Amino acid sequence: MCRLAEGDREAFEAVFTALWPVLRAFAARALPVRAEAEDAAQSALLKVFSRAAEFDPDREALPWALGIAAYECRTARKARARRREDLTPEMPEAADARTPEDAAVERDLLAVAADLMEGLSALDQGTLVAAARGERDPSSTFRKRLERALARFRKQWRARHGAD
Amino acid sequence: MEPIELRRRARRAYELGRARLGAKAAGAALLIAAAAVGLGRPLEISALLCSALAILTFALAFGGGAAGRAVWIGLAAGTFAMLLPLAVMTAGCSMFGPACMRFCLPTCVVAGGAIGAVVAMLARRQENGALEFLAAGASVAALTASLGCTLAGAAGVAGMAAGTILAGTPVWLAARAAR
Repeated sequence: MCRLAEGDREAFEAVFTALWPVLRAFAARALPVRAEAEDAAQSALLKVFSRAAEFDPDREALPWALGIAAYECRTARKARARRREDLTPEMPEAADARTPEDAAVERDLLAVAADLMEGLSALDQGTLVAAARGERDPSSTFRKRLERALARFRKQWRARHGAD
Repeated sequence: MEPIELRRRARRAYELGRARLGAKAAGAALLIAAAAVGLGRPLEISALLCSALAILTFALAFGGGAAGRAVWIGLAAGTFAMLLPLAVMTAGCSMFGPACMRFCLPTCVVAGGAIGAVVAMLARRQENGALEFLAAGASVAALTASLGCTLAGAAGVAGMAAGTILAGTPVWLAARAAR
């Protein structure tokens, strides 16, 4: 990356080969929808190369590139959330576009949750249901809240069933 | 997107990024020329020198390497050398009247000497491409300084160039000998 920042075009191939799989894997982990992850990874790769001339050789290259990828993933997530908001008033049925299997899983989860989480607060229940539906907020606040809710959920489980 | 297409687009993005870097350097050259015109240098000759400087800085920054690293050093050293004769003229004319013009040529030579010494000293610190750095830095600095040294006419520019070579060469040779 330092060579590329210096203008050494011969380093392009090596950087491309090393960086593309990493960015692709990173985006795949960050975004659940495969097409979105691919788009975000490509966008991140193009931005990395576009800004390569401004790369500071004193910095670590990989965290710098992953920072750009993280930004692209966040942008993709926000775009998806906006699309969902835009569609909701016009197409109310879109909210129920889940498969029957999903609905059954959710019903089971809610039934188990309702049964097991009687002792949990409404906030904990909401957090666990949101996580089960895959509607995870990427913020650290949500992550902490989920950790705490899961800990309390396990405690309830152990209290009733005696094992994890 | 196919990997080949992605690779082609990534390469294009990289080249555009480098062109942006070159454009920044060329923009700085335009600003320096605008300052020279603002300080009273004639528009025609300044435009001519500025065009050459903008093309040179763009090409060097776009190309990269040691020459690319030398662009901003050259512009900074050249700006100092450009402002020196203009400052001497402004201050000198208020003290000595029209006779102040006799200071212009020596000032250009001194400014050229400063350029040569600074660029040569920085060039010797380069781990690779030191000679390339020296040539590019001295060229950009000399061209930038010419914007101010035209004050003393062609003799001013020649004096500045001579000062650059005379001061830069010993510093460079001493640095090489020390290695």
